[in-house]
Amino acid sequence: MTDNDTHDSVETDGGTATQPAQAHRNTNYLDEEVNILKPSTAFMRDHLRVVWTSFVVWALIVFGPVTLTAIAPGPMSQTMPVLGFPLHYFLVAFCAPTGALILAAIYARKRDSLDEKYGIDHSTPDTGGDTGGGPDDAAATDGGVEQ
Amino acid sequence: MMASFLVIGYVFKVADTEGMWVAGRGIGNIENGMAIGANWMSAASYLGLAGLVALSGFYGVAFIVGWTTGYFVLLIFLAAQMRRFGKYTAPDFVADRFNSPMARALAAFTTLLIAYVYSVGQARGMGLVGQYVFGLDIIPMIVVMMTITVGYLALSGMLGATKNMAVQYVILIVAFLAGVYVVGFSQGYSTILPQIEYGALFSELSRQFSEPFRANSYYLWVATAFSLIFGTCGLPHVLVRFYTVQNERTARWSTVSGLFFIMLLYWAAPAMAAFGVDLFAAVNNISPDAVYNGEQAMSGAEGDVIVVLAAQFADLPTWFVGLVAAGGMAAAIATTAGLFITASSAVAHDIYSELINPDATQRQQVLIGRATIVAIGALVTVTAFNPPALIGELVAYAFSLAGTVLFPMFFLGLWWENTNRQGALAGMTTGLLLWIGSVVNSVLPAYVGFLADIAGGPGQAIIPIYAQYVPPIGAALIGTPLVFLVTIAVSLVTPEPPLETKKMVRQCHSPEPMGQQQSAEDIVSNSGGETPADD
Repeated sequence: MTDNDTHDSVETDGGTATQPAQAHRNTNYLDEEVNILKPSTAFMRDHLRVVWTSFVVWALIVFGPVTLTAIAPGPMSQTMPVLGFPLHYFLVAFCAPTGALILAAIYARKRDSLDEKYGIDHSTPDTGGDTGGGPDDAAATDGGVEQ
Repeated sequence: MMASFLVIGYVFKVADTEGMWVAGRGIGNIENGMAIGANWMSAASYLGLAGLVALSGFYGVAFIVGWTTGYFVLLIFLAAQMRRFGKYTAPDFVADRFNSPMARALAAFTTLLIAYVYSVGQARGMGLVGQYVFGLDIIPMIVVMMTITVGYLALSGMLGATKNMAVQYVILIVAFLAGVYVVGFSQGYSTILPQIEYGALFSELSRQFSEPFRANSYYLWVATAFSLIFGTCGLPHVLVRFYTVQNERTARWSTVSGLFFIMLLYWAAPAMAAFGVDLFAAVNNISPDAVYNGEQAMSGAEGDVIVVLAAQFADLPTWFVGLVAAGGMAAAIATTAGLFITASSAVAHDIYSELINPDATQRQQVLIGRATIVAIGALVTVTAFNPPALIGELVAYAFSLAGTVLFPMFFLGLWWENTNRQGALAGMTTGLLLWIGSVVNSVLPAYVGFLADIAGGPGQAIIPIYAQYVPPIGAALIGTPLVFLVTIAVSLVTPEPPLETKKMVRQCHSPEPMGQQQSAEDIVSNSGGETPADD
């Protein structure tokens, strides 16, 4: 980790800061390279792990059944009991989109818990101010990034 | 029939004026999800999707997969970062990220092409539904419906239309689901879950309905789904929706709820297609197989309005059929309106005032914008008279263009800070040429005499092998990776982008919350003090 702690932390957290939250506070994100294959911050490493895992699962759900159907059309297009669908049709037309929806919800939850782990609070976006405020942000000076 | 349609049209108007309750950037994730749904679902979803499933069988399912699962890729790779970047039209993003007016021009040109191709499908849908409701010929119907749309837009702009997305969504989905439930119930196909119960129908349908890779190969299936998935991530009008929410967290969750709202229709569409095909056979007194072959086979035009036809075959009251038809019409008009606005701003703002005439006045810009709407409206109308494909396929051409040209720019622009101007220009040019080449190769010979001569017949492609592997509908499967490679290679051999730009990308990935009205640019220019916040 590069040691460029430029934040003189103005906010107190009552001593509950965890290791990752500490790492987050000590990171100046504007100095860390963005490269999807070489995550440079602890947060990004954790985030990308979630992203890539779910992406692989997604690819399997979306392109898996159709590929299997191409390889083994016989077994894949047997009629399902009760529902009456040919198996491949159901897997592709129903399960693939539904799977993507469920994955999306899982991802959004995981990302929320990452935020929590790193002590990030979205409910008050204007008071965090660690990376500097906007032009109309009165608090921009106290937590802003200094050179 | 006509009267019932007019009544529904009147109800729509009322809903329009009441739609003022959606406020600024304070939209929560449920409403925004509905807005995503309304924005997303055009005539291609409402009419074309069921049409494709009905006519193309298992190949049609590729469209269901492509148009839904793409949202997941959008969610994990782009939504929140785009929200943080703060720019939400494709030309703006590309121009600011790559510091290049030329890149802006390319992106604007791509946007214009997308709007044009996409709208042809919508115009066709409006014409078909109008033809069905009013009983006129298709060509006068397209002209009338497009004139109404263009006139309404040229006069009022998008002011009203953006305010009532959620209302629109509710009307659209209620009309569609009512159609599915009532048809299913009245014909004894289904009770409470037609989305799953239509499976029982498969034994009665022709095998062609479900047989894998009957008419189209596995390659084309995957290429189509791939193009639609990454096209979704490249379409500017989808990304706009993330800019209207409170914060990134809401942006993420609204993608989830948006996907859910979209799937309400996408779960039901194949059921409607199955009902429609079965009813089609029953009403015409033909065997299930004859739906696909022989004299009484279903035509493309019939397939495209299968949603409405199914309601009619089921002997439902005319006002109900009108309701279903009106839903399709609403979807088509809303989407066309949105596309034309995008096109006109691409021309008036990105091309005219940024490149041709930097001193353009507001008045000139508005004039150019209106002229664009009228011109593109005329062009779309004429093309829709004799389109090369089904509604859904036409729209898919636009998706494969977006997936080839814009998606790699968004993705690399946001995820690899060393992507530079030269890389972006080279990549976008490659993508555009590849896609245009594909259309010229496979689609235009049907229209242009001398191209048909080269191809050796109107239905032929000029270079068959190119048409096989880079079909316009699935061009992204080859195109997207190629554009990625070109962009990365060129970026590597040319100088890195300026630090300012890199910081903007970094800001997009910082987990630090941002203010509602801030863009990455504001924050970067405030933090370092290298440049004053001049805009």
